[in-house]
Amino acid sequence: MEENELFEIGNKAVKHAQESGADEAEAFVYTEDQTSVTFIGGIFASRSGAVKGLKGTFARLAEFWIKKKGLPMITSGIKAGVGIRSVVNKAVGFCSVSNTEEKKILEAAEEATKIAKIRPPDPNWVSLPDSKKPLGEGGVFDKRVSQLEIEDLLEYCSGSCVAMGDFDKRIVQALIMASAMSAAFATINTNGLEAFDKRTAFTAYLEAKAKSRGEEASSGEELISRSYSRDFHPLARSASKRTIESLGKKPLSQKHTGKVVFESSSWNELFSAIFPNGISALNVQESRSVYKGKIGTVVAKETVSIVDDGTLYDGFGTMKIDDEGVPMQKKPIIEKGVLDGFLYDQYAAKREGRESSGNASRQFGAASPYAIQPVIRPSNLVFSPGTGSLDDLVRQTGNGVLVKGSLTGALHSNVITGDFSVSANTAFKIENGEVAYPLKPCTVAGNLYEALGSVVAVGNDTRSFRTVISPSLIVDKIVVST
Amino acid sequence: MDKALKHALAIGARFAEAKGEDTTTLSIGAMNKETRTVSQVSNVGVGVRAFYGKSPGFSFSSILDEESVLRAAEKAVKIAKASTKKTLLVFKPAAVRTLQEKKSTNVDKHPKQVSLEEKKELCLRESKTAMEVSKNIVNVNSGFGEYHGTIYYANSEGTKTSYEPLLVGLRVICVAKKGAIIVDAKDEYGGSVGLGTFEEQAHSPETMAKNAANWALEKLKSKPAPAGKFDTLVDPKLAAVLAHESFGHLSEGDGVALGISPLSGKIGQKLGTEDVTIIDEGMPEKGGYALPFDDEGVQCVRVEILKNGVLQHYLQSRATATMLRTEPTGNARSQDYSFEPIVRMRNTYFDAGTWRPEEALKELKSGVYAIDTNGGQVEDTGTFLFKAVRGYWVENGELKYPLRDVALTGNILELLKRIEAVCNDLQIGSTTFGGCGKMNQRAYVGIGSPHLRIKEVLFGGAA
Repeated sequence: MEENELFEIGNKAVKHAQESGADEAEAFVYTEDQTSVTFIGGIFASRSGAVKGLKGTFARLAEFWIKKKGLPMITSGIKAGVGIRSVVNKAVGFCSVSNTEEKKILEAAEEATKIAKIRPPDPNWVSLPDSKKPLGEGGVFDKRVSQLEIEDLLEYCSGSCVAMGDFDKRIVQALIMASAMSAAFATINTNGLEAFDKRTAFTAYLEAKAKSRGEEASSGEELISRSYSRDFHPLARSASKRTIESLGKKPLSQKHTGKVVFESSSWNELFSAIFPNGISALNVQESRSVYKGKIGTVVAKETVSIVDDGTLYDGFGTMKIDDEGVPMQKKPIIEKGVLDGFLYDQYAAKREGRESSGNASRQFGAASPYAIQPVIRPSNLVFSPGTGSLDDLVRQTGNGVLVKGSLTGALHSNVITGDFSVSANTAFKIENGEVAYPLKPCTVAGNLYEALGSVVAVGNDTRSFRTVISPSLIVDKIVVST
Repeated sequence: MDKALKHALAIGARFAEAKGEDTTTLSIGAMNKETRTVSQVSNVGVGVRAFYGKSPGFSFSSILDEESVLRAAEKAVKIAKASTKKTLLVFKPAAVRTLQEKKSTNVDKHPKQVSLEEKKELCLRESKTAMEVSKNIVNVNSGFGEYHGTIYYANSEGTKTSYEPLLVGLRVICVAKKGAIIVDAKDEYGGSVGLGTFEEQAHSPETMAKNAANWALEKLKSKPAPAGKFDTLVDPKLAAVLAHESFGHLSEGDGVALGISPLSGKIGQKLGTEDVTIIDEGMPEKGGYALPFDDEGVQCVRVEILKNGVLQHYLQSRATATMLRTEPTGNARSQDYSFEPIVRMRNTYFDAGTWRPEEALKELKSGVYAIDTNGGQVEDTGTFLFKAVRGYWVENGELKYPLRDVALTGNILELLKRIEAVCNDLQIGSTTFGGCGKMNQRAYVGIGSPHLRIKEVLFGGAA
């Protein structure tokens, strides 16, 4: 849908909400076109009774690698919808509809107002945002992503499966997920705000499963980008390498308390699961953050500097405007170990009599953005790089543990206190400054906020994963056990 | 939808089907005595699936003008054509009887006839009651949810069904604090029922609030559960989760067909004790989530997965039924119009036995009484770890003292062989909170069980 169509829909909704008794109203109009492919290639699990022809025979395997066949699962479709906030007597009501028919939208607008009327007034409510000019050009919109054909994505998947199988004959199964999405969205409110932006996203996840001498290992690689990259070989190689490296696992002989090297992808996963909660101004105001009252104090090692930058070129989270229509900005969070500031949406900002930092977000898991109300989220959290490669960090560690790839359970961390206990599937013992051997799945536990004060060194191998852009790190005082 | 199906056939599909949806979900949350969140989401759209060659293709649109819907049909065919060149697996829907049926839902006090104000009051009544129980109740979280509307289905064989799903749920979570000890407990109830249900004594907001508050207060005096193997009485809520999470998923036809499930090839084998019967069905008499048809337009059949300990049937979609050379059971379900149907459970439960719960407790002699759960971890081998919400230490068939940190581990297939008593107090429930997740799709399900007495359950101690 075009910009003017979204504005037209939004304006109708806002006007109708006002007519039904709202003091203020806002409409978030969103449309997206998405195609995603999941592809499994290689040997399927073998058990008696399974479908004939799918039994894990080597003949099948050969057929797969030659003909690039497997089990494809593809969905593609269009979603459009409107989320409406009505404000009556300082109380906010929310209603959404996954449709752009006028009748449905007007019903939703009325419903939002009705909901507002049953809620008690919120003394902290001030107003919806005013109209402001965007600061930057916004993020990348890659036409190649919006025009990608189903066959292209399928070829990406089956091609990378074959690449992983070719990497090492011990790789017997591969799982690939690739998706292309283009979205356009607009925010309209009764303060005269009319803001529009669009984005594309190309994501791929490659996982290889290896079998050798009765042992199984699997590991994956992920790409999350605004633009299309046709070449899957680097990711396929990396996922395969990681998988093969982790064959020959040994148990950790004794509990390790001390230095752990977090490869950037592992650190990103842990960091993005916990840290955004600590720097949300709303959580600080409502005493759900360890950073309450800590502005201007030392909260991390001097090597730690973090900014949230919604204007970063090619950042996955970069947009002209946030999901309340406020221009995205760049702001320091931690400057050389000293806590500098928090992230604000309109509500939390007005509560302190300041301006929103453009961090209202309606992106949450698999939910449709129009079906949820904005919450405070980072745009692009950028962790300043230090010096040294991952190998250098391993050398500098001497004795410890190296954690790579995905961690299980990061989302179960205590986001208020920062305590985490995650399971690392791809971990290695470091002895005398070298990677000694892969470890059986182990538990890595610590406290994320305290970890920032125990950073020993920061690497220069920055990688971006969704909202976090960070290098690998060495952190001390981490407990690793089996 | 008819036009979309015709269009799909015209451009080459062998078979096409469509699901249309117009549903509404409302959720209200209150913390202490204040309404915190109220949100209504309405979901309207259509999903089209077309079969070509060996493969299905699926596409959807939430914009319902003719152009968008036809485009979805076109895309579905295009995907099927692209997939068939790459697939090793044949998806062929098994033959079923065509259905033309409209099913309406008639209950007293259907949520769409009840004011927002009254629904909000259900939550506030809970928090008010719970906070009055004791000053040690420091936090009360209450929630109300509803889901209803109409689901339409049509396919190119002539099946046309519609039904009106309905699900409501009410729950309360109480946090109690004394010194440094903080504990919580919950109560909840729901199903395909009208709001009159919450006026009945057993499920009123006041009863549930008092239950949750008292259980939380009792937990303040609890001791951590001991570690080791103990004979155990499992309450219906926890046993229901075992039936669904650890056993039910293993009986899903897709996992069986791919050979991933440990139940593959085990039809006719004795997996549990004589008393153990596990059912999955669309419309249980005892409550749950009422589903007349699945999302392939197939009547929901009552499936006896396990009968007197013997594995009888798997849960099937039309395609897995072909793969496993059996009949579809009406277990193909999708989260909403934007997802392709996959094999899912409906209402899964341990069927009632003959023991009275008091007798089962008495015969337990000494061990653990484990109650309710907020979930845990399961693997596709049947291995599980569940944390019970609360429990009691039992001696001489009597409750001795309350327990906390009750974590059970084991493998369901071994556990089924150690079920010594199945009681007669079957309860089946379903709520709008949570639901079941599989392949990134969520679905509302019902689960149930009576009390079960199980020999030698492994407890992890203080978790």
